[in-house]
Amino acid sequence: MGADRSPKKKKGGTKDMDDLKKEVPITEHKMSIEEVCRKFNTDIVQGLTNAKAAEYLIRDGPNALTPPPTTPEWVKFCRQLFGGFSILLWTGAILCFLAYAIQAATEDEPAGDNLYLGIVLTAVVVITGCFSYFQEAKSSKIMESFKNMVPQQALVIREGEKVTINAEEVVGGDLIEVKGGDRIPADIRVVSAHGCKVDNSSLTGESEPQSRSPDCTHDNPLETRNVAFFSTNCVEGTARGIVICTGDRTVMGRIATLTSGLETGKTPIAKEIEHFIHIITGVAVFLGVTFFILAIILGYSWLEAVIFLIGIIVANVPEGLLATVTVCLTLTAKRMAKKNCLVKNLEAVETLGSTSTICSDKTGTLTQNRMTVAHMWFDNQIHEADTTEDQSGASFDKSSVTWLSLARVAGLCNRAQFKAGQDSLPILKRDVAGDASESALLKCIELSCGSVRAMRDRNKKVAEIPFNSTNKYQLSVHETEDPNDNRYLLVMKGAPERILDRCTTILVQGKEQPMDEELKEAFQNAYMELGGLGERVLGFCHVLLPEDQYPKGFAFDTEDVNFQTDNLCFVGLMSMIDPPRAAVPDAVIMVTGDHPITAKAIAKGVGIISEGNETVEDIAARLNIPVSQVNPRDAKACVVHGTDLKDLSQDQMDDILRNHTEIVFARTSPQQKLIIVEGCQRLGAIVAVTGDGVNDSPALKKADIGVAMGISGSDVSKQAADMILLDDNFASIVTGVEEGRLIFDNLKKSIAYTLTSNIPEITPFLFFIIVNIPLPLGTITILCIDLGTDMVPAISLAYETAESDIMKRQPRNPARDKLVNERLISIAYGQIGMIQALGGFFAYFVILAENGFLPSRLVGIRLNWDDRSTNDLEDSYGQQWTYEQRKIVEFTCHTAFFVSIVVVQWADVIICKTRRNSVFQQGMRNKILIFGLFEETALAAFLSYCPGMDVALRMYPLKPSWWFCAFPYSFLIFVYDEIRKLLLRRNPGGWVERETYY
Amino acid sequence: MAKDGEKSGWKEYIWNPRTREFLGRTASSWGLILLFYLVFYIFLAGLFTLTMYVMLQTLDDHKPTWQDRLSTPGMVIRPKTDETYEIVYNVENTESWDMYAQALDKFLAPYNNSVQAEKNNECVPDQYFLQEDSGDVKNNPKRSCQFNRTILDLCSGINDRYYGYQDGKPCIIIKLNRVIGMLPSKDGQAPFVTCGAKKEDSDKIGELLYFPPNGTFNLMYYPYYGKKAQVNYSQPLVAVKFLNITANQDVNIECRINANNIPIGSDRDKFSGRVSFKLRINTIN
Repeated sequence: MGADRSPKKKKGGTKDMDDLKKEVPITEHKMSIEEVCRKFNTDIVQGLTNAKAAEYLIRDGPNALTPPPTTPEWVKFCRQLFGGFSILLWTGAILCFLAYAIQAATEDEPAGDNLYLGIVLTAVVVITGCFSYFQEAKSSKIMESFKNMVPQQALVIREGEKVTINAEEVVGGDLIEVKGGDRIPADIRVVSAHGCKVDNSSLTGESEPQSRSPDCTHDNPLETRNVAFFSTNCVEGTARGIVICTGDRTVMGRIATLTSGLETGKTPIAKEIEHFIHIITGVAVFLGVTFFILAIILGYSWLEAVIFLIGIIVANVPEGLLATVTVCLTLTAKRMAKKNCLVKNLEAVETLGSTSTICSDKTGTLTQNRMTVAHMWFDNQIHEADTTEDQSGASFDKSSVTWLSLARVAGLCNRAQFKAGQDSLPILKRDVAGDASESALLKCIELSCGSVRAMRDRNKKVAEIPFNSTNKYQLSVHETEDPNDNRYLLVMKGAPERILDRCTTILVQGKEQPMDEELKEAFQNAYMELGGLGERVLGFCHVLLPEDQYPKGFAFDTEDVNFQTDNLCFVGLMSMIDPPRAAVPDAVIMVTGDHPITAKAIAKGVGIISEGNETVEDIAARLNIPVSQVNPRDAKACVVHGTDLKDLSQDQMDDILRNHTEIVFARTSPQQKLIIVEGCQRLGAIVAVTGDGVNDSPALKKADIGVAMGISGSDVSKQAADMILLDDNFASIVTGVEEGRLIFDNLKKSIAYTLTSNIPEITPFLFFIIVNIPLPLGTITILCIDLGTDMVPAISLAYETAESDIMKRQPRNPARDKLVNERLISIAYGQIGMIQALGGFFAYFVILAENGFLPSRLVGIRLNWDDRSTNDLEDSYGQQWTYEQRKIVEFTCHTAFFVSIVVVQWADVIICKTRRNSVFQQGMRNKILIFGLFEETALAAFLSYCPGMDVALRMYPLKPSWWFCAFPYSFLIFVYDEIRKLLLRRNPGGWVERETYY
Repeated sequence: MAKDGEKSGWKEYIWNPRTREFLGRTASSWGLILLFYLVFYIFLAGLFTLTMYVMLQTLDDHKPTWQDRLSTPGMVIRPKTDETYEIVYNVENTESWDMYAQALDKFLAPYNNSVQAEKNNECVPDQYFLQEDSGDVKNNPKRSCQFNRTILDLCSGINDRYYGYQDGKPCIIIKLNRVIGMLPSKDGQAPFVTCGAKKEDSDKIGELLYFPPNGTFNLMYYPYYGKKAQVNYSQPLVAVKFLNITANQDVNIECRINANNIPIGSDRDKFSGRVSFKLRINTIN
C-alpha cells in the first residue's frame, strides 16, 4: 500500500501511467489530526485563512477533474470516414480519378466510366461513414460522465466562518462539513463525525453504506474509516474533515486520469477487416499486374495497359461490402440492445464472440446465477438438500431440533423475500427480491418448513447488521416465538470460519455441546468437502441473549455494537451451488475477490479448472512433498493470490499466463485487474473484463471489450466500457457472446456471398482485354449488382440462425480462424465465382448469337465494334450494323449478364446460408433472405423493363428466354456446393474440409 | 529485430526447408489442389461447351433469331475517312483528294460490269427478287442481281477518274446496310435517297445530281438472304454529285432514306435511315 508516496505526479507519459497504476499514495489517514493540520497550515476550528486558500488555489488549480481529452466530433467523423474498410474504397476512388485523368489527357472523348465509378465509390464511403458515425453517436450519447460527478457546492470553514462556495474552489487544507445527502467535494480526512455513513459504491462497488469516524482503522486508505472520497455520497449523519486531495489528485481523479490515458488497441473485427483488405489487395494487385503484363505483350500501348491495370484493381473492390458489414453490425447491435446489452462501439459487437479470456469477478458471469441450496451439515453429518417441490426426496429427519434451529436461523437472518402476487407459482419458480444466496436459502426453507413470512412475523426483528465485506457476517436480533419468553434471539450467518470463531458451543442432536477440537475438525472436514464441491458455504449460529443483560426493550445499537456477538452456538452449514453455464469460454481467467479455496472450487465447478488438472499445491499434496519441490510446469492449473501478484515481475506474470491453461486469481484488488488484462493481451488473448466500480474502469478500458453494469455501475465505468448491461443481468453477456459469434459466422457468409460476384464482374473485362470481344458487363451494371441487387441478400445473411450450437464451440483463435481466409477466397473466387462467370458469359453469347454475332465472329472484333465511325459492321449473317444498333445489343448483353448474376446469386445466397450443414437441414426460415431473393429479382426486372432505363442506365428489356440462360449454372452451383458440404460432413478433417471450409 | 523476424518469416513462407513447404503448402498439397482445379475447370469448360453447343443448335443458319434492333437499317457514305464523317480537301492540292478517289476506286471495283456479269444475274427491275424456300427444301444458293458500276454514270469513275473531286464537284456514294429479309417498300415504290443541307447551310449546298436517277434503290435488290445463301449479293448504291457547292465553307449535309416500309430511326442513332457528314471544299479561286 502506498508504495509510491510521492504526492505529486511525475511528468512524462509512461512513467506517469506506471505511477498511476500503483496504489493510492494517501498517508494522511495514519497521521494524527494535528499533523494533518500542520501539513496544510490549517486550523481544526478556524479552517484556512482566505489568503492561504487563495494561495493554494493558485498552486493546485481548481478542484475539478481534468476532463478526458475528448476527441472532437470531426475527428470521430473522419475516423469513420477513413478507417478500416473505407481505405480500400478511397484507394479505389483515387485510382479511378487517376485513370480518368489519364484518359482525359490522352483521348478526345474519354469514356466517363472511371469518373462515375470514382464518384460512386466516394459517395458510398461518405454515406456509410455518416451512417456508422450517427449510429455510434447515438450509443455514446447515453453516457455523460465525469462532469456530473463534480459536486456543485461545498460548505467550508474559513477563518472560522461557514461559507458555501463553489466546489471547484475547495483547496487542500480546507475544513469542510458534509451532511447526509451531500456529495463529498474532495478527498477528506475526517476529524469528527456524527453517525456519518458514506456510500462508496461508485469507487469500490461495495453497496453497503460505511460509517466514517476520525480513527484510522486500516493501513489501506481505501478501507480506513477516517477518509471520505471525492464524489462519493454521504448517506446520513454529518462529518467534518480536512481536505487532503483535490481535483486530479483525488483517488477518483487518479483513476479517471489513468483510464482516459490508457491506449486501447484495435478491435478484433477491425484486425480481421485489415487482414481481409490485405488479401483483397493482394488478389487485386496480382490480377492487375498479370493482365498489365499480358496487355503489354498483346501490343496495347503503355497508357492503355495502365488504364486496364487500374480498372482491374478497382474492379476487385467490393463496393457494397462496407455498407453490408456496417449494416450487419448495426443489426446485431440493435438486437443486443433489445436484450439490454448496449454496445457503444459498433465493432465491439463481435468482440465478445471472439473473447478467449474473460476476467470476471462475478461468478454470475460463469454460472447460471440460479443459486440453490445443495447440501447442509448439521448433527455432524452432511445432508443433501431436498429441492423437490413436494418434498418427496427428503433424505434426513426433518424433526431434528438442530435442523429446525438451522432453518430458523436461515429464515430469520435473511433479507430476501418473495415478490408479491406469486402464490400460485411453484416456490422454485417464484421471483425473489434479494441476493442470490439469500434467495436460495429462502426457497429452501420455504420448501421444507413452510412460510418464512409467517416465521418472521412470529419472530419480530428488532435489530439487524447487514452483511458487509469487513465483518463477513450478517446478524439480526429477534423476539422469540414464545410470548412468555422475553429473551432475544440473535441469529447470525456468514463465512463459516468467521462464524466458527465466534462460537464456543455447537448444537448436536438438539443439545448444546462445547466446541472441542474433535468437533472443530469435523467442521473443517465438512467445510473442505463442501467447498471442494465448488459450493458456496455459509455458517449459521444463534444464541438466546440472557434476559438479565438484555431485558425487553433493550436498545440494540448496530452502529456501536452494544451486545454480544461472540460466545455463540454453532448450528450448522448450508452450501449452495450455482450451476455452471455450458457456455463458459475455455480460457476463462477468473479474477475474483474470493478466497483462493473457494475460488478454486468454483473454478473447478464451472470447468475453469477442468477435471484431472492440478495446481502446484494439488500435486504437492498428492505426492506429499513441499510445494517448492514441484515442477511448476507439471501443473496446468494455477491459483494466484492477489498478494503474490503484487510482487510478480512482468516476465513472471507472462510465465504464469503462458504455462497455465487454467488460472484463477483470487483476492485480487481491482487495480490488479489491469495488470492481469495487460498480461493476457501481451500473450495475444482477446480479453473481456466485467466490472462496475470506478476502480474497474482502467481494466475495462484496457480490455478488448469492457462490460459495465447499467444500473449498479458507476458512470466512469460505463464511460470506459464498450458494452453496458442495462439490466445488470450477467446472462446478457452470454447473449453477447452468442450474438458475437453468430455475427462473425454470418459476416463470413455475407462476405463469401458478396465476394463471389466479384469474379463474374471482373472476368468480362479481362476477356474484353485478352480476346477483344465486346465488353460483356459494364461499370454501371457492376454497380447495380454491388450496390443494388446484392445488398439485401448479403444483409439478410446476418439474420441467419446458427448452424450448430455455437456456444459449445471453442472461442476462435485470432491467429488461425480469420474472418476471410484463403479457403473462402478459393471457394468464392475459384469455384462458385467461376461458375457464375460462365453463367453470365453464356447469357452474353446467347444474346449476341441470337442477334447475329456468333462467338467465332466476336473474337477480335473489339476495335471495330467500339469504333463510332464504323456504321456498317458485318455480323455472322452478313447483316450490317450501325454503332448505336450494336451498342444497344451490347448493353442488352450487359443487362442479361447482370440478370444472370442475379440468377446465380440466388443459388449463392442459398448455399451461403450454411458453411457445413445442408440447406435442407438448415431450412429456409430466414424471412429476410426470402424477401431478399424476391427483392433482388424485382429490382433486376425493374432495371431491365422500366421505361427510360435505356437512357438513364443504358439497360434494355430482355426477351423472357434470356432470363433462363443462367438457370443451369445456378442449379449447378447449388448441387456442387451441396455435394461439397456433404463430403465435408462425411469426412471431418478430410481434404475437402482442409481446402474448402471457410 | 522485429524486421529480421518478419524477413525470415517471409522467407520461410516462400520456402520452408523444414516442412518442405512452398508458399505454405507441400508439394503433394500443391499437386492435389492444382489437380482439383484442373479437373474442376475442365469439367466447367466441358459444361460450358455443352450449353453453348445446345444453344448454337437452336440457331438458324440463314437468319438470326432476332432482328428487332435492325428495323431501321443504317446508312453509310463512301468515301470514308478514318474516324470522322468529314470530307475536306483542297481542289488545287491533288494529294488532299486523291485518297478519296482511290478509296472509291477500291470500293467500286466489285461493281465493275465485267465482275457483275460474271457472278450475278440480270433481274426484272422494280419488283422484289423473291427466292423463297419451298418448305424444308432449301432453295440455295440464291442468285443475286447485277448492280453495274455504270449505273452510277458520272460518279462511276469510269469517265471521270477522279469522281469530280478535282473540279469541286465531288461524288458521295451512299449505301443502305444489309438486313436479311428486309423489304423496304410496301407497294412497289422504290425507296430513294434525298440529301439536303442542315438548316443554316441550306443556301450553300447548291444543286445535286443523283445516280441512279432520283436516288432510288431498285426493289430487285431486295430481299437479302444472308451471306451464306446469297454469296455474291451486290449491295445497291446511290451516288450524289454536288454540282455547285459553296467553296471554302463547312457544309453539313444529311441524307435520308425515303421508304414507306422503313420506320424512322431513333433520335439517338445518327446513322439509322440517315447519314450526316460535313463537306468542305477549299479553293483559292
